Amino acid sequence: MTRETAAKATASQVADSGLGEKGLSKGTVGVLGAVVIGVSCIAPAYTLTAALGPTVAEVGTQVPAIFIAGFLPMLLVALGYRELNNAMPDSGTSFTWATRAFGPWIGWMGGWGLIAATIIVLSNLAAVAVDFFYLLIAQLTGNDAIAELTRNLWVNIPTTLVFIAAACWISYRGMQTTKAFQYGLVAFQLLVLGWFAVAAFSHVNNGTAFDPTPIAMDWFNPMAVPTFGAFAAGVSLSIFIFWGWDVTLTMNEETKNPATVPGRAATLTIVIIMGIYLAISLAVISFAGIGKTGLGVGNPDNQESIFAVLAGPVMGPFAILMSLAILSSSAASLQSTLVSPARTILAMGYYKALPESYAKVSPRFMSPSKATITAGAAAAVFYVVTRLLSENALWDTITALGLMICFYYGVTALACVWYFRRESFDSLRNIVFRFLAPLLGGVILLVMFVKTASDSMDPGYGSGTNIGGLGMVFILGMGVLLLGVAVMIFMRVRQPGFFKGETLKRMK
Amino acid sequence: MRYLIGYTADGRGAEAVALAAALGGPDAHLDIAIVLPESTPFSANYPGGDHGYSSILAEKVDSWAADALALVPVGTSARVVARSVASPAAGLIATAEETGADAIVLGGRKRHVAGFFAPGSVTSSLLHASPVPVAMSTPGAVAALKKAEGKLSRITAFVSNGAAARSVVQAAAAFAAEQSLEVRVVSLVIQELAEVGKTRMRETVARSQEAADAVVADLGVSAEVQVVTGASIDEAIASLDWEDGEIAVVGSSRLARKRRLFLGSTAQRILRTLPVPLLVIPKNYESAPE
Repeated sequence: MTRETAAKATASQVADSGLGEKGLSKGTVGVLGAVVIGVSCIAPAYTLTAALGPTVAEVGTQVPAIFIAGFLPMLLVALGYRELNNAMPDSGTSFTWATRAFGPWIGWMGGWGLIAATIIVLSNLAAVAVDFFYLLIAQLTGNDAIAELTRNLWVNIPTTLVFIAAACWISYRGMQTTKAFQYGLVAFQLLVLGWFAVAAFSHVNNGTAFDPTPIAMDWFNPMAVPTFGAFAAGVSLSIFIFWGWDVTLTMNEETKNPATVPGRAATLTIVIIMGIYLAISLAVISFAGIGKTGLGVGNPDNQESIFAVLAGPVMGPFAILMSLAILSSSAASLQSTLVSPARTILAMGYYKALPESYAKVSPRFMSPSKATITAGAAAAVFYVVTRLLSENALWDTITALGLMICFYYGVTALACVWYFRRESFDSLRNIVFRFLAPLLGGVILLVMFVKTASDSMDPGYGSGTNIGGLGMVFILGMGVLLLGVAVMIFMRVRQPGFFKGETLKRMK
Repeated sequence: MRYLIGYTADGRGAEAVALAAALGGPDAHLDIAIVLPESTPFSANYPGGDHGYSSILAEKVDSWAADALALVPVGTSARVVARSVASPAAGLIATAEETGADAIVLGGRKRHVAGFFAPGSVTSSLLHASPVPVAMSTPGAVAALKKAEGKLSRITAFVSNGAAARSVVQAAAAFAAEQSLEVRVVSLVIQELAEVGKTRMRETVARSQEAADAVVADLGVSAEVQVVTGASIDEAIASLDWEDGEIAVVGSSRLARKRRLFLGSTAQRILRTLPVPLLVIPKNYESAPE
């Protein structure tokens, strides 16, 4: 046998490695598996503790209504996502989709929006994990002083950086969570959240609740939200709590039956998630009320992490389970979420929208090496800056995050409308899924984005931190987007190829 | 013979190709394996899942494959096999079984300062589970090979008094036969391990010589037999002379399961100071009749 030439060998090698197709194991996920994946991407224990407080601060008792209203744009956008995913299964996500539809400039900002949103959520995940890490140690040792350590910046910031570095290292080594781990984590989260709801309601029943507030029908009425500004802010926050759900819809060849599994799994996931969100928000408000003192959900001191405050009074000694559930879910999400900005950065480097060195792949671990480290470092920097500038960093990051998700989801949804514009009216199916749904979803999200952004200029917005009379949320959100514009212009000057459409062609 | 190379697109991978090419000679066939982690939906990366990653990775693998083939000496037959696997070591073993490899060749004992043997996780798992011989090298050992222009001249089999000696010498002879190399059989007699006084040392040495001679004669191998003594393994190894194009062969520990590798403590200590590449033979290994 003679040695094949390099070129020939490469061609035959690709053919038999099958890597040109998606490297996913085909047809292994059933409805239950897909639901587990969906719930684990949403990470309900983490999202509730991070977002419930800020949402109550915006809309008061109408939280259940806002959760339901917030799901609508999520659903509409996810339907558009599914269409794009089916049309361009290999090219991935906001960056490539928006570039193909709208060209390099909007595409670049779409990619940046996704990276920014994930970087912000990473810093928030790490911070929540650290809070519950110290709370868990305090509960284990019975020494309450340890839980207070997290308020000491000299302890909090280094610990958070360690958490981010650990997640970075795990991602760099290409380690992945296993099926059994995901099932266990999801079951544990749902169990503990259910327990919390039951315990809170029995306190209300027994008259031992902090501020028993009877459930009223108008909690479910979005019209009862006092202002449109509050409504917009509430919706952009509730986009965050459903962030992850679209994964069930976009799963395809990895499911046992692509025709039925994704649809059923998405429906079942949203029923479970909506059930648990409504149960928890009703339980929390009935138990603690929305007062601004003590355990009240409206108390600014409780905004950062509602379960850190309420789990003890509600669950008694079993509050430790809540700490464990949130710590494990946020730490696991921290690691798995880091993969996402790293891959988008890699793709941007690969298409020369960022310096080419970001496209480096570690030959040993097969992970995007430079992109992973960059994403971790950015999350660390973002966290340190926010923590030092803001009196209530978690609250402000969550609000800024909602803003960012509205931005890149909105852009991606409109990319879907534009990408399919020539076939929009070919069939009823196209009218609904490729035109109306993404158009409506995208417009709603961009309206929420603009409204929340302009409101957040108010120095009293969010936690009330401001610099020179401009609200912190606005500074964070717009600062990150403007930084993106600056980097984009710099890249246009340094490396114009991508912007001339040489690497990633716009669909004509 | 067929060799499976556990390839990574870095210095280690290049070392592995050089070692496999030397071990196999011009008539060998090299399968260069690039193993990738299997991506499961349960890794739950969110948002956006794949991000076009697998197609970028596939292209990367293609360019690595071309680079790897360029490292193979002209005239040697070679191809690249890429596999998505749950674990790299298990994937290499499965690929070795699939391709009918006579040995798995790795590039890396870990690069280290102090010279201690600390295999990476992949090497380590292979050294404890492989059903076929595993060859590995250090940057120093590869440099020695290079001085010999990438050609082997001699194979040295390390034996002890026991049944294992037979399969080690047999495997060494089989590899040597491919390129008509000299075979040297070395039996180590270590004072601190033998736990004997100086007076009885001579007796032990004589017994070792006898045992090794018997194995060599029994297998009909023409080999130089050497008994090396020393206060410690390090001392004994240091007293051996090495040629530039040489490779050492050791057997598995007695703890190994049948037909499986398990690197024993003596072998690990030999590895620490060895200036040449090493081939480790599974327990009860019988090289395929040619």
